[in-house]
Amino acid sequence: MKVPSPSAAAPDATLLPVLFLGLCPAIAVTARVVDAVWMSAGVILVLALSGLAMSLLSGQGDSGPTVRWLRALVITALLTASLEAALVAFAPVASAALGIYAPLIAVNCLVLGVVSPGSLPASPPRSLLAGLARGAQFAVALVFIALIREALGAGTITLFRIGAFTGTIVITGIIERPARALGAAGGGLLCLGYLAGAFRAVAPRAGVKSSSPEKAE
Amino acid sequence: MPDRETRGGAAPLSLMPAPHLGVGMSTVRMTWLVSLSLLPAAAWGVFLFGSPALIVLAFSIGAAAAAELAATLPFGRFTLRDGSAVLTGCIVGLLMPPGVPAWVPAAASAFGILVVKQTFGGLGRNWMNPAMGGVVFALLSWPGLLSQWIAPRGGAGEAAALPPLEVLRAALSSSGSTGGTPLAILARAGYPFSDLDAQVLGWINAHLPAPLGTALQPGTFDVLAGHVAGGIGTVSAPLLMLGAWFLLSRGIVRWHLPVLYVGTFGVLTAVFGGLGTGQGLLAGGPGFHLLSGSIVLGAFFAAPDPVTSPLTDRGRCIFGIGLGGLTFFLRFFGSLGDGVAASIVLGNCAAPLLDRWTSRRIIGDAHGRAV
Repeated sequence: MKVPSPSAAAPDATLLPVLFLGLCPAIAVTARVVDAVWMSAGVILVLALSGLAMSLLSGQGDSGPTVRWLRALVITALLTASLEAALVAFAPVASAALGIYAPLIAVNCLVLGVVSPGSLPASPPRSLLAGLARGAQFAVALVFIALIREALGAGTITLFRIGAFTGTIVITGIIERPARALGAAGGGLLCLGYLAGAFRAVAPRAGVKSSSPEKAE
Repeated sequence: MPDRETRGGAAPLSLMPAPHLGVGMSTVRMTWLVSLSLLPAAAWGVFLFGSPALIVLAFSIGAAAAAELAATLPFGRFTLRDGSAVLTGCIVGLLMPPGVPAWVPAAASAFGILVVKQTFGGLGRNWMNPAMGGVVFALLSWPGLLSQWIAPRGGAGEAAALPPLEVLRAALSSSGSTGGTPLAILARAGYPFSDLDAQVLGWINAHLPAPLGTALQPGTFDVLAGHVAGGIGTVSAPLLMLGAWFLLSRGIVRWHLPVLYVGTFGVLTAVFGGLGTGQGLLAGGPGFHLLSGSIVLGAFFAAPDPVTSPLTDRGRCIFGIGLGGLTFFLRFFGSLGDGVAASIVLGNCAAPLLDRWTSRRIIGDAHGRAV
């Protein structure tokens, strides 16, 4: 089996649920819905902006794959570091929610493929939209897993505190005896496995291009 | 319906693919016989703990059967008659404390069938023992509920509603309670063994020559006969051994795995088990630990599951030794129950590797050429 290159994986519409990319932060931040939402927002933002930046810089200087990769690394890391600093300064709640996983936004964005050379869209608006779309796919998977894990594993759904709303929805009947195994890391992997199975079952019928890592070369 | 040749009296000609030699034991028959062999231990548990035990068993078996139906009927299959779901529910129920709310064994059985077994394709395709997977899921999810014990019939009141193993652990965790065999520590901790235990041991100590010059300690009869609090089907090691003997004698279970499992655990307990009780090396009192907890049920009824254990004899030997070591470490240094279910689940992960490492290699063809 050949190890898939990011450029080969990039054209697929299969992110977390099929290629199992960005697994570590995904498992870490899906114990609570609000954490997953913050991570999703960070990934969407960095993906969109880094795609846009890569597109704008694509005509500048040497455009060989090595340079493009280095450029992608630097841009994504720069955006992630800026976002992390901004969160610490202006959104401490989000910063606390992401914790040590905030820097991993950069890893997620790189492996998700939008900024890889093979998937570089031609125009800046298309790059921006592609980043947003790909980030949204990642977000759907992440929030879905978090919803299942937190609802069944803790009996709550934690969202944002708004006015009189405390930010926590309590699920009566589960909160008294939650299945804590689902809230643990193993529960996250279990949810991800079922999501991957569902995706692979539905995707061919829906006409979505999907490939396993074995097929990607 | 007999064909033309058979009706005419001629010997029927059967054309069928290999294998042509059978052992006369189908998977279905094997599964139901394993369930049957658990009946004595289950009956003892129901007798000892009454209707709560019966309810737990009914819910665990019922939930397993319902989950099997829910997972297979939509796909046009009916697999309930193969007995594996009933066996899973039975083992889950027997491992449960009798006082547990009935929905816990039901959830454990459903998890075992739906997630551990049917997700991977059903009987023969699961890589983890469904019953043990379900029990570990329940242990991780609701550890407090899995400590709701009931005093046995004829026990010394509500004070006897704790398994000796739990009391021993509690006594050892508090300073100053070490020193002596497990039964001596239990006696010092005030564990209420039954009057029957005192009468039987009194008679034995008075009339029979004492083994190794020492009198039998209080609690020996209760622990040996399974007249103590504990899991519904795990308290009586002798009745489980009766079922195990049945399985061994019918060739349903081969001896390698369970004997080495129990043996390794016993040796490790004998050598190192005494360190925690202040007795030092080679003074662990393995008998108490072999009779307490669910090691007999795990070793003879769950670990040898032909689907989730190695296929080769060498693999089974390594598997059994590994499980014995794991159970020892988890019981003496862990917090996940008595360590048996967790050990078997962890061991199941290694079974495919053991198959790969211990299977015979083809070293050449009929002409001596390497392949």
